[in-house]
Amino acid sequence: MAVRFELIMFNETVINEINGIRKKYPDRRSALLPSLYIAQREFGWLSLKAMSCVAKALNLPEADVRGTASFYSMFKHNPVGRNVIQLCTNVSCMILGAEKLVDFLKSKYGVHPNGTSEDGRFSLVIMECIGACGTAPAMLVNTDFHDELSESRIEEILEKYK
Amino acid sequence: MITLTINNKEISLEQPMTVLEASRQAGIKIPTLCYFEALKPYGGCRLCVVEVERMPRLQTACTLMVADGMVIQTESDTISEVRRGILEFLLINHPLDCPYCDKAGECELQDLVNKYGPAVGRHKEEKRKVPESHKDQILARNMERCVACTRCVRMCSDVQGASAISMMGRGNDTRMEPFSADSFNCEYCGNCLTVCPVGAILSRLYLHSFRPWQVDREVDTVCSYCGVGCSLTVQVRDDSIKRVIPKEGKGLNKGLLCSRGRFGYEYIGSDDRLTTPLVRKNGKLEPATWTEALEIVADKLQGIRKESGGVSIAGIASPRCSNEDNYLFQKFMRMTCGTNNIDSISRTGYGAAQKYFEDLLGQGITSNLIDGLKNSEAIVVLGGDPTSINPILGLSIREAARRGAQIAVIGNAKGLERFKTLQITAPVFEEAAVLESLLAQVFASKGERGEHAFLDRGIADMAAGTSTVSDVKGLDDLKKILLESPSTSIVFGTDLVQRSDGHRSLFAVSGLTYLLEARLYLLSEKANEQGVIDAGCVPDMLPGGRPLHIEDFKKKFEMLWKDSLPDFKGKTLMEIIEGARTGDIKALYIMGENPVFNLPDAKYVKEALDSLDFLVVQDIFLSETAELADVVLPALGWAERTGTVTNLERRIQVQKKAVETSAGMEDWRIISEISGKMGYKMEYKDSEDIMDELAQVSPLYRDLTYKEIDRGKSIWPYHGEPLRGAEISEIPAGEEVQSGNGADYYLAVDRPLFHSGTLSRRSPALTKIMPEPVLRISAASAEKLGLTDGDRVNVTTSAGSSETVVVVDDSITDNRVYMGNNFKDRGACRLLNFRLDSVTKAPGIEGCGVTIEKR
Ligand code: SF4
Ligand code: SF4
Ligand code: SF4
Ligand code: FES
Ligand code: FES
Repeated sequence: MAVRFELIMFNETVINEINGIRKKYPDRRSALLPSLYIAQREFGWLSLKAMSCVAKALNLPEADVRGTASFYSMFKHNPVGRNVIQLCTNVSCMILGAEKLVDFLKSKYGVHPNGTSEDGRFSLVIMECIGACGTAPAMLVNTDFHDELSESRIEEILEKYK
Repeated sequence: MITLTINNKEISLEQPMTVLEASRQAGIKIPTLCYFEALKPYGGCRLCVVEVERMPRLQTACTLMVADGMVIQTESDTISEVRRGILEFLLINHPLDCPYCDKAGECELQDLVNKYGPAVGRHKEEKRKVPESHKDQILARNMERCVACTRCVRMCSDVQGASAISMMGRGNDTRMEPFSADSFNCEYCGNCLTVCPVGAILSRLYLHSFRPWQVDREVDTVCSYCGVGCSLTVQVRDDSIKRVIPKEGKGLNKGLLCSRGRFGYEYIGSDDRLTTPLVRKNGKLEPATWTEALEIVADKLQGIRKESGGVSIAGIASPRCSNEDNYLFQKFMRMTCGTNNIDSISRTGYGAAQKYFEDLLGQGITSNLIDGLKNSEAIVVLGGDPTSINPILGLSIREAARRGAQIAVIGNAKGLERFKTLQITAPVFEEAAVLESLLAQVFASKGERGEHAFLDRGIADMAAGTSTVSDVKGLDDLKKILLESPSTSIVFGTDLVQRSDGHRSLFAVSGLTYLLEARLYLLSEKANEQGVIDAGCVPDMLPGGRPLHIEDFKKKFEMLWKDSLPDFKGKTLMEIIEGARTGDIKALYIMGENPVFNLPDAKYVKEALDSLDFLVVQDIFLSETAELADVVLPALGWAERTGTVTNLERRIQVQKKAVETSAGMEDWRIISEISGKMGYKMEYKDSEDIMDELAQVSPLYRDLTYKEIDRGKSIWPYHGEPLRGAEISEIPAGEEVQSGNGADYYLAVDRPLFHSGTLSRRSPALTKIMPEPVLRISAASAEKLGLTDGDRVNVTTSAGSSETVVVVDDSITDNRVYMGNNFKDRGACRLLNFRLDSVTKAPGIEGCGVTIEKR
């Protein structure tokens, strides 16, 4: 049976996928993070309803689902653009000019930290260290990794993301 | 034996425990913030740090287990400095709005800062801002004050089991999120409010209306709502109840309360209370003096007794009133009015079941301690949702589930949705057949138990005549669970009594209890359902459950009461109503009950009461029934008078007077005044005086005193052995009945967590939580009917129609729809018909096929 929740719901395939994950763990709670990822993949971001779907699918209290989702920065709690840029501004990246890159993204693409460009093409999330200090500054675009950034390199990279 | 040294004091312990517990036991105080006795240790705040020799760093006493030879210091300069540092960190964000905060005066943070804290903070950064949510009308949550101790979250998920709140965000942003305002599954128990050490969770019922040190009185008493009988403390100022709080660890509820007990007290101060007697003049109820009203009642009853005899008078007692009230009431009916026609609403459920169980299995069979439930390895829940009927008992079932018990739900129990391990759905009107089939299967495997020959025979006969119900899912699994479990409890709700073949279910449950040697718990909606019976408010039994037809008992009571008892067989509740309709009953005296609203088929009941010559209603509100009365007598309510009540474990406790009011008189006092006027003297100083008499005449209460009851010495079987074993030697045979009308949907009476009878609708807090009746229906039914949450619908049966709001509920597994009986003109009972169970005389619900239409 599909989990019904007003406008949005998981379809049969997704429910099966979640049930599959559930079987891998002795306890339902362990399946929560992977299921949240699935919800985010399906709906783009974790709306309250998306989290309700997860809660129902796993028979977990909604409060637990929301609490967990709110702890991790990889979960989006607002609608995001078609492409999500996650730019690091922690020490190494900052020293090598990441702050300037933030300004560049603002002026060139009209995207602010935690915001989305008007055309819906990009969203920007400021990250703490993403583990690429040796080749800083670094960013993720969706799930792709890019380092040794400069303004021109960013321009070149973002060409590929429409 | 573990020996350790704390602050140079040598301590020996039998049991392993935490350093904090050991210190407390030795009278050494260690400051704490995230620790709370009833919760699992968390070790989050670090205020309880102590120095332990040979351990490099400071240790948290609340999580560190003692070890032999440990040497511990709980106070030192280093420790004080660390504590000061922690508090300084907490105060970075804490708003320090104590002058405006209700918690001031009983705030743990305030006390700690007072003792250890820095006088000034060194942080210049802005405090974090968390906008306050005003959506929740009961709980005021101010997350700027939250110190992230997680006590509320641990309470809500690990003890209450509601899991309605969670810590959100992280780091500086961490706060508890008030989900209830968004209609999450908050059960409004307020237990999070009990544990919050600061003013982050407060009650809107008294927000900014007083300071904790400004109460005039604090009275330890017992809740007025359900048959659990939770201990609670009433704080009073200017003779009005300011708040109701539990005492940590106190009472059988151990410091927990439910929504009704904690927030439902406001009906006592309601403006709708009756304040003066009313007498019907020219068809209208008009205010009258006490003297006038009492004289009319005495004259009328006297006249009717003289003219038509005691048989034409009847009385309905009340499970909301005390043992003393009910004892005097039945004494008044029997001795002053000369009638055995006396019963109470308990006949419709608890009382009927209780009598059946005790007849078969012996007195006290349901008198089991609630606390014992959590040690059961299998619990069968049937006939109602314990978490809403008796919420604190429900928590023990959840606790058992957490400990790994098998929880089998037969029927619907929404509050156990995340806790049950097995669901069995018995088709409407076939509940008895399903239970019989289960009993037959258990009997087939286990055979006779050999304690009661007649019961073994009865079960064998039944099993021989029962065809196995094969299409009910889960029955085999349940049988397996029951056969394997070394300790089984059965939690029986009274829905199954309300069937015209209810006695069959009662027999099946008796048989299961007997064969499995299970503990039987009987859910009880009202505070004193057991007390009404034990006080003698049943037609065929005298106080203490002594059968009236046994000549010896009768004689003894006649001696004690100094007159002869009426000789005829009294009528039960529905027979009284029928008697009123036919004219056999001419006068009816109702104490604290509202039959027009609470019995099925309101039209019939109303017609019956209308045909009476004389109707007296004694109540605290002008109920639907009081509106029909010839004389209405205002009584005192809970917290306004003292009296004992008996809970579903048969524990007797005292409800104490906390506020003074001129609104009415104690129920027992009204009765004794009328009795005196009718020539049968009843002279008592106070309720304790009545208990003294009751303890003399009722062998059940032998020599029990208020003093002992207050010391908690009032647990079954009080001072002796149960008075009687199984008293019958034959299983009562009932009539065959055929119910059911092939409807698509069936109406069932719901017992919502937030309401209880018709009292709760006078409590603004509870009506804010649940403002109107709802219709719970399954997702499948909703889909078929094209309904979603919040749709307004008309629910129609052959008896009438009512408007309500749809709530789609995933816990419902069949075509039943559930609606409560709490709101004026919109109760479920009036939509139902009934047929009496031939054995228990309880009204079995009929005609509950409904149609549901969108408005
Ligand atoms: S009132 Fe009870 S159910 Fe609601 S959040 Fe507080 S503890 Fe949880
Ligand atoms: S709301 Fe109160 S109990 Fe809950 S975490 Fe905050 S301070 Fe602790
Ligand atoms: S469980 Fe019953 S007795 Fe306890 S607080 Fe709730 S209504 Fe009152
Ligand atoms: S600081 Fe940017 S990747 Fe480590
Ligand atoms: S009380 Fe021990 S860490 Fe909070």
